[in-house]
Amino acid sequence: MADEAPFQFLHNELIQYIYKSAENVEAENGRNITKLENMGFRIGQGLIERLTKNTARFKDELDIMKFICKDFWTSVFKKQIDNLRTNHQGIYVLQDNNFRLLGQLSAGKQYLEQAPKYLAFTCGLVRGALSNLGVKSIVTAEVSIMPACKFQVMIQKM
Amino acid sequence: MTIHNLYIFDRNGSCLYYNEWNRRKQAGISKEELQEFKLMYGMLFSIRSFVSKMSPVDKEGFLSFQTSKYRLHYYETPSGLRFVLNTDLSVSNARDTLQHIYSNLYVEYVVKNPVCVPSHSLDSELFSGRLDAFIRALPYYSPRAA
Amino acid sequence: MSRQSNRTTDSKKMNSELFTLTYGALVTQLCKDYENDEEVNKQLDKMGYNIGVRLIEDFLSRSNIGRCQDFRETADVIAKIAFKMYLGITPSVTNWSPAGDEFSLILENNPLVDFVELPDNHSTLIYSNLLCGVLRGALEMDTLRGDNVTEIRLKFIKRIEENIPAGDE
Repeated sequence: MADEAPFQFLHNELIQYIYKSAENVEAENGRNITKLENMGFRIGQGLIERLTKNTARFKDELDIMKFICKDFWTSVFKKQIDNLRTNHQGIYVLQDNNFRLLGQLSAGKQYLEQAPKYLAFTCGLVRGALSNLGVKSIVTAEVSIMPACKFQVMIQKM
Repeated sequence: MTIHNLYIFDRNGSCLYYNEWNRRKQAGISKEELQEFKLMYGMLFSIRSFVSKMSPVDKEGFLSFQTSKYRLHYYETPSGLRFVLNTDLSVSNARDTLQHIYSNLYVEYVVKNPVCVPSHSLDSELFSGRLDAFIRALPYYSPRAA
Repeated sequence: MSRQSNRTTDSKKMNSELFTLTYGALVTQLCKDYENDEEVNKQLDKMGYNIGVRLIEDFLSRSNIGRCQDFRETADVIAKIAFKMYLGITPSVTNWSPAGDEFSLILENNPLVDFVELPDNHSTLIYSNLLCGVLRGALEMDTLRGDNVTEIRLKFIKRIEENIPAGDE
C-alpha cells in the first residue's frame, strides 16, 4: 500500500460508524470508546505478532516499551514517539508531539472535544501489542493542544 | 504586487471557503456576501462553458482573465472543485499556487479532516491558518501602502 | 540501548497489514451488529462511498491527471494508477460490454482478504464490498455487484451534469 491515506480514511469511517449506530450519544460515549478500543486491541495483537517475528527476546519491561515507542510506532505512524517517561513503578508516558491521527484535525484547541474518539483505537493498539508480549496494561490518552498527545500505560502486575 | 481574495467552490456551486487579504473596495453588489458568491460562480460558470464552446481544440479551457486593474485566476480539479484567486496585474500566472492550495492544503487539512463534512462550508482553523500563512509567504504577496 | 537486530520490517507491508486487519475488525463488527449479510453489504458500500469521495481528491492531487476523456480511460486509470497507488496491485480490466459502458476489474491478489476465512453462515456476504463503495464514491456513479469478491463490475450510469444552482435571480 502506497501510504497511510486508506487507513486514515478507514479509521475515520470506523469511528463514524460506531458513533452513528449509537442512539444516545452522551450515554453511549463510554461504550463507543470501549468498542473502538477493543477493535484496536485485537489489531495491535496481530500487528505485533508480525513485527516481532524475527526479533530477539526482550530483556525487560523497559526494553519492550522502547520497542513500542520506536519500531511499533514507526511501523504504524511513520514516526517514533518523541518522549518516553516512566516512574519505574509501572507507569509509562509516551508523548507524541505530532500524532498522526490528530494532525489533520486541528493545531490547537479547536475540535478538542472530538479528540478522544480518535485516540481510543490507538490506545487499544498499544494495549493489544503489549498484551501479546506478555504485559498486561491499561492505556489511556490525554490531549491538551493538538496534534500533541500523551499515552499513559499503566502496567497491571499479574 | 498583491493578492486580493480567494474563493473555493464545490461542483454544485456552493462557496466552501472565502477569504480576503488586500481588498480595499467591496463589490458593492449587496450587503450580503452570499450574493457575491452566487454572482461570482454564475459568471465563472458562463465564461467556462462559453470558452470551451469557442475553443478550436478540446484543451485546458478557461484559466484566467484580466481587467485593467486585476487578474482572476481559475483552477478546476477533475472532481469539480474550483479555486479562484484574484490578484493585481503583476501576477501573471497563479496556477502553481492554486494547485498547491488544492494538493497540500485543501486535501491535507480538509479532505483528510474527519470533522470537515464534504460540501459544507469550512470552519477548520487549521486549514485557514495554514492557508493564510501560505498566502502571506508568497513572493507576490506584499500589500502596497495605499 | 537501541535494539538493532535484523528487524527489516517492510513498512509498506505493515501499512497494508494494518489496513487489512482494521478492515477485518470492521467487517466482524458489522456482522455482529446486523443479522443479515445484505445489510452488512449495504453498510460496507456506504462506508466505501464516504471513503471514495475523499480518496478521489487525494488521488487527483497526487497523480495530477486531468479529466478522463472516456470510460475506457477511466478504467485504465483506476486499474493501473489508483489500485497500484493504494492497494499495491494492478487488477486486470476485462469483459467490456459491447456498448463500452461496463467492464470488470479482476483482482488476482486481493489484499483485503489476506487473513480471512469466511464462515459458512455468511455465504452472501460480499467481503470486499467496501471497494465497490469506494469506486462508486470516487467516480460518483453506480457500480454493479460482482459475482465474487474479486470481480468488481462497473457500469457507467450517467455523467453528472454540472448545473448552475437556481439562484434568486
